[in-house]
Amino acid sequence: VRQLVLAAAGLLGQARTVEDLAREHSTSPDQGGLQLQAFLQGLAEDLGVAAWLPEWLLVCASLLAVCVAVFAFICVFDLMAVWAERKVSAHMQCRLGPMEVGPHGVIQTMADGMKLLFKEDIVPRLADKPLYLVAPVLVFTGVLLRFVPLPFGRHLIASDMDLGLFFVASVGAVEVIGVIMAGWSSNNKWSLFGTMRTATQMVSYEIPIGLAFVAVIACAGSFSLVDISEAQGGWFWRWFIFRNPFLFFLAWIYFIASLAECKRSPFDLPEAESELVSGFHTEYSGMRFAFFFMAEYAAMYLVSGIAVAIFLGGWWTGLPFLDGIGLGDGSSSLAMGLGFVLKACVFVGKAFFLVFVQMWIRWTLPRVRLDQMMYVCWKVLLPASLVCLLGSTLWALIF
Amino acid sequence: MSLKPYFRNIYRVGRSIFVGMRITLRYFFHYKKRTVTIQYPHEHDSIPPRHRGVHYLETEKCVMCWKCAEICPVDCIYIEGVRGVDGPLKGGYRGQKATLFKFNVDYTVCIFCGLCEEPCPPKCIFLGPEYDLNATDRTLMEKSLLTDRIYTEEDEEFVKSARAESERRQEEKKRR
Repeated sequence: VRQLVLAAAGLLGQARTVEDLAREHSTSPDQGGLQLQAFLQGLAEDLGVAAWLPEWLLVCASLLAVCVAVFAFICVFDLMAVWAERKVSAHMQCRLGPMEVGPHGVIQTMADGMKLLFKEDIVPRLADKPLYLVAPVLVFTGVLLRFVPLPFGRHLIASDMDLGLFFVASVGAVEVIGVIMAGWSSNNKWSLFGTMRTATQMVSYEIPIGLAFVAVIACAGSFSLVDISEAQGGWFWRWFIFRNPFLFFLAWIYFIASLAECKRSPFDLPEAESELVSGFHTEYSGMRFAFFFMAEYAAMYLVSGIAVAIFLGGWWTGLPFLDGIGLGDGSSSLAMGLGFVLKACVFVGKAFFLVFVQMWIRWTLPRVRLDQMMYVCWKVLLPASLVCLLGSTLWALIF
Repeated sequence: MSLKPYFRNIYRVGRSIFVGMRITLRYFFHYKKRTVTIQYPHEHDSIPPRHRGVHYLETEKCVMCWKCAEICPVDCIYIEGVRGVDGPLKGGYRGQKATLFKFNVDYTVCIFCGLCEEPCPPKCIFLGPEYDLNATDRTLMEKSLLTDRIYTEEDEEFVKSARAESERRQEEKKRR
């Protein structure tokens, strides 16, 4: 009954009730949620394992479990996304795409992955061997690490860090280092050109992204992606993208810059096929190439997920009567479970939609020139994001 | 310095991106109507009426004059047989004026030029509509043209329908 009353209240526009309720519950993350790392450590304590194991070992084990879980998600997502990309591109170009392996070719990526797994791992004779071998691991690690503070649903998160967004912004540099190592150690001119472009591109585009983060952080009053998503509950105009006009523009700026950040078209200069063979991973083959490929697709989901968490209302549907399911104190476990699943689906669904938009852009727009790329970043996105940052903070102060 | 060109540039970029993405989205949702892919092993494109594919020999008519083998620029036609034998011969194929034991074309050599059609006195060898030629071994590519079949009305019908299908597709392409 309380649930219905709440829903009715929400419908009548008193969205703040649900919102406050949500905020209350954010302080008790055990409520219908799962933080993997904390959960595993608690489990170890409950089982009495914690008593006779050193603490560092427990932490390491729980981190390993987190890694495995995130890795599994990335693998499954990559299998789907690569197939989806091929289908989307095909249908936009009057083709059919993969059709043979499985119904409409859904298992095609699996077959390709098996092929890559069994291929020879070639190291060029004059390559800098240790760097060459480590580079793909570093690139993949850079993406994997950034998945840690990213929620997949309400309180469904690997580890809720206080400095989540800051962590995301800073750990991205690991990926850049990996790419630079790959290009430099390959001892190949295409790789080197790709690397130089990557360095300029990723370092420049981190600035508008950082400014967009700062504006959101100023609005939400927290670095944690969970808190930021939580602050957007209620009607959909409570989402940060619709909170004020400046944040609306910042969301677009973030999306454009994030395309460059994960080296997607029209900013795919680092691996421009028609100019540089395939840029920094020209010399890689077999599973090491597959790691670069997986990192690229995982990064697509990652930037989309962050855009959803900080701008597009996270796991909230934007309709309080739907969001309220399973939030009340007296709600049944069925309603709680339903709400949990619904919120996870909403979050992942929004992120998938943004991934689709990225594919859509890739098969529509031609690649920009290097100077155009720098122009867009330094002369358009940077001033615009500065103005928007100032505007949105002032807006938050005044209203 | 005026800022007008700067903002006009941004506006134009945004507008052209919008137009382009609208077009690709339209194609994405209406792909069923527009797809031009033919799923080859499962379905075949109709071939043009004068397509030069695998040979067809009307064994009945053949007089074993060797003219096709002589004119062949790459010498890929191998014929063995007896001329002017009336009685049936074991393993042979009866023609009107000859009994053929072997009439092979080596398709690893043949260039599908169609010259063999020209000098044939009874007009019994044609380049047909088939083009599915693959084998797991080189030797399997030397194929025998000897059959008991004669060119029937059914074949005639097939050629006609193939021709009509091809014309229909041409029309469709023009309309698009």
